[in-house]
Amino acid sequence: MAYYQNIFTQVQVRPLVPDQGVPVAVDDRVGKPFNSYLFGLLGNSQVGPIYIGYIAALSITCGVIAFEIIGLNMWASVNWDPVQFVRQLPWLALEPPLPKYGLKVLPPLNEGGWWLIAGFFLTTSILLWWVHLYKRAKALGLGLHVPYAFASAIWLYLVLGFIRPLLMGSWSEAVPFGIFPHLDWTAAFSLRYGNLFYNPFHMLSITFLYGSTLLFAMHGGTILACSRYGAEREIDQIVDRGTATERAALFWRWTMGFNATMESVHRWAWWFAVLTTLTGGIGILLTGTVVDNWYLWAVKHGVAPSYPQVYGPIVDPAHLAPGPRP
Amino acid sequence: MKTILAVVGGALALFLTIAMFGGAGWTHPPMAVKQTGFRGTGMDLIRTRAGNEALAEANRAPAPADPADAGGDKASAVYENVQVLGDLSAEQFNRLMVSITEWVAPQQGCTYCHSTENMASDELYQKRVARRMLQMTQTINSTWKENHVHEAGVTCYTCHRGNPVPANIWFDHPVQGAGRFIPRNNSQNIASPEVGNTSLPYDVYQAFYQHKETSEDAVRVNATTALPETKGKPIQDAEKTFAIMISMSQSLGVNCTFCHNTRSVAQWDTSTPNRVHAWYGIRMVRELNQDYMTPLTSTFPRNRLGVLGDAPKINCATCHNGANKPLNGANVIGPYPELSHPTISASLPTGEAKDPIPGTNTPTPKPTQP
Amino acid sequence: MAMLSFERKYRVRGGTLLGGDLFDFWVGPFFVGFFGVVGLFFTVLGTALVIYGAAIGPTWNVWQINIAPPDISYGLKLAPLKEGGLWQIITICALGSFVSWALREVEICRKLGIGYHVPVAFGMAIFAYFTLVVVRPFLMGAWGYGFPYGILSHLDWVSNTGYQYLHFHYNPAHMLAVTFFFTTTLALAMHGGLILSSTNPSKGETVKTPEHEDTFFRDTIGYSIGTLGIHRLGLFLALSAGFWSAVCIVISGPFWTQGWPQWWGWWLNLPVWR
Repeated sequence: MAYYQNIFTQVQVRPLVPDQGVPVAVDDRVGKPFNSYLFGLLGNSQVGPIYIGYIAALSITCGVIAFEIIGLNMWASVNWDPVQFVRQLPWLALEPPLPKYGLKVLPPLNEGGWWLIAGFFLTTSILLWWVHLYKRAKALGLGLHVPYAFASAIWLYLVLGFIRPLLMGSWSEAVPFGIFPHLDWTAAFSLRYGNLFYNPFHMLSITFLYGSTLLFAMHGGTILACSRYGAEREIDQIVDRGTATERAALFWRWTMGFNATMESVHRWAWWFAVLTTLTGGIGILLTGTVVDNWYLWAVKHGVAPSYPQVYGPIVDPAHLAPGPRP
Repeated sequence: MKTILAVVGGALALFLTIAMFGGAGWTHPPMAVKQTGFRGTGMDLIRTRAGNEALAEANRAPAPADPADAGGDKASAVYENVQVLGDLSAEQFNRLMVSITEWVAPQQGCTYCHSTENMASDELYQKRVARRMLQMTQTINSTWKENHVHEAGVTCYTCHRGNPVPANIWFDHPVQGAGRFIPRNNSQNIASPEVGNTSLPYDVYQAFYQHKETSEDAVRVNATTALPETKGKPIQDAEKTFAIMISMSQSLGVNCTFCHNTRSVAQWDTSTPNRVHAWYGIRMVRELNQDYMTPLTSTFPRNRLGVLGDAPKINCATCHNGANKPLNGANVIGPYPELSHPTISASLPTGEAKDPIPGTNTPTPKPTQP
Repeated sequence: MAMLSFERKYRVRGGTLLGGDLFDFWVGPFFVGFFGVVGLFFTVLGTALVIYGAAIGPTWNVWQINIAPPDISYGLKLAPLKEGGLWQIITICALGSFVSWALREVEICRKLGIGYHVPVAFGMAIFAYFTLVVVRPFLMGAWGYGFPYGILSHLDWVSNTGYQYLHFHYNPAHMLAVTFFFTTTLALAMHGGLILSSTNPSKGETVKTPEHEDTFFRDTIGYSIGTLGIHRLGLFLALSAGFWSAVCIVISGPFWTQGWPQWWGWWLNLPVWR
């Protein structure tokens, strides 16, 4: 009765000569591939080789510079105390400039200048990484679906740190670099703009986020369930449908009356994931620029529910007629 | 090498796990029940029964002293230099003095405020401060009776709890980030107990609790229209508002939904009546800080002042001490009617106090700028 | 006949858990089974009660319809129908329907001779829901702590329940859950993108192979988890997201009553640097 459900790889097969990658025009890959037992339990055991062209090298350099600027600023903010640096690390941050500097290109370094420099390097790093992905996909003759999906994430990043601050006319609107501080920023952002839950694009983004998770559970589960029929060989199954695909499709057809195909389930997946950040970015972009209070916006459009009054009318004491006010 | 790393890593993980489970302050059911909004809105006070009992126990009001005879000679006739409570009978006066000792300086006794050589002397700063504090108590119990303290009222014990200096007071924070390469930290991004260990701005008391003239809109960051019509407030202001709100919640041992339906924190019509009380409470704190605490700056010795040389000031926690009703809402002022209303009209900044005792002098407080 | 070209040969009898052959049939594309009948019963009853709840409520506006749980004062008792009783019955219907759906999936798995990963994964979602509306309310001692059934009203509940702990982002289990949600979505984008890019290559190229897929990820990040591994990883990430979501809410209240930022006191007060 207890079937093996293919949760991990029981016998790891390791070729004598590790796979060096598909030979293509530009393939000066570096690093000697090795096998990791732990990785092999879940997926491929082979780690490496890696291709690092000059663009990736530049991207990593910019990323390291940004990381260093952020880290050193955090360390400086505890007066270079190494113990406090570790202890306070989740609380530390590199803050964007204060509102008074508006869109000034380089405010004093310790008043947001470093934030702009770090942001510049991080953005450069991310954009270069996109170029790197694009060039690798091209070099291998693949479609551009991965770089385009990454572009959707970059869109959200740019909206948060660049486009929206630009439209609001102040860098101070951007997110600080820091673990807890960016969470504080998120909460304050929602409080400032009258509850982001009432932002329809936030609703959409969350729906796609949860939807993506649901989809991956469904898809991952289906493929693993049908792995005894070779379902994980998805490309084969797409171009030449086998019993794995048929069983996978029928499982969903019999369950919910509808099924995707081996290829289209990946289109669903790609769109759900891409729309998460795409709609999220739209939601952030509209906040403060087009809508100033999402709750009032929802009331205006008849979306917000009303609850029975539990207490007598509560009025703003600041608006009471000036009487015997203490 | 690999083994050593694995052992060290494992030990570290074990140590952190134990600390996480043992040191964080986890609780367990049964829970105490208190709903603050319409069913299903998630507006509830979240406390365990044990926590509730511990809180009530920690905030028990002391038994009042037995009433004293109102007849007989007045205190002003029997004792010298009685400026605030002169109209009491000597017996009533002594009763209050004994109570104050129990409330404020039970260990130190009478001599915490009074010179052993001359009880009437204003030599000790404690006595001069205490006189002003008596007037402050009277103000709280009269001016703020209707809107904040109600019938329960306050006595010295409400804040002092047997300590000469109340446990919850605050001072101004120095601005950090003076050096060239030291980043300005916005007075935030450090774990700060004042704001509940968040990395939110920690200098919020200065911003919100110091001056009576603080703008009505200082704390209000929400737009009042759906679409942008005027230039709104920056996120940094919202962080400050969030920080002061977290501080208030902690001071009262409640959460945000005690006052707000957080689907729109700004809306008054969906808020609870507690929010109105809190609104007046903030005004009270500002008034007391500006009219009573700050003027005492020059009366306190240096070691009672903050790093910036400012007087100790009050906030919600000073009276509330973690309970949403100080001392469980007990009527503490009833047995001490002499503290329930001003007994002299003049406000007695310590510097204007008469110095009838030769050889003692009272420094004149500098007026503070709002 | 709503059947796919290859479907007929898979439609065999057997594999049912309950009811033997009695409910072993299809309606259109749907397999029925004993749990299909039970599930349908709960679904129809639950939906009808939601509609009834909307009918006796103040609005037909789909955004505003709200079926709220009882007042906290009812504790763990049954409440009158119009004061939260509906919510209680709907919750039972929802759970009955979800569990039936999962068991029906098990029957389909048995019919098709495939693993039980999907019903197990769905079980995690049911577990999260069960935690939210049964375990936590039970631990807190009142059904009123469950979330209301309504599109916007459940968001209000989330907002208020979050602010019961002052700043919910500091909840460590919530941090984990959110991280897993984001990571799942990232992995899904990469997996979906990779499969699509292999089967839909640049103009003039032939369809690519798993070796190309491995090479793409080894070239860019130095490691490719492989065709089987990605599905294990994806399932693990997705289930972790659901699991830690359940944890983050069940500890809020029963086991933690302060603001979540204060939880981090243990870290600040470690003996090594206190």
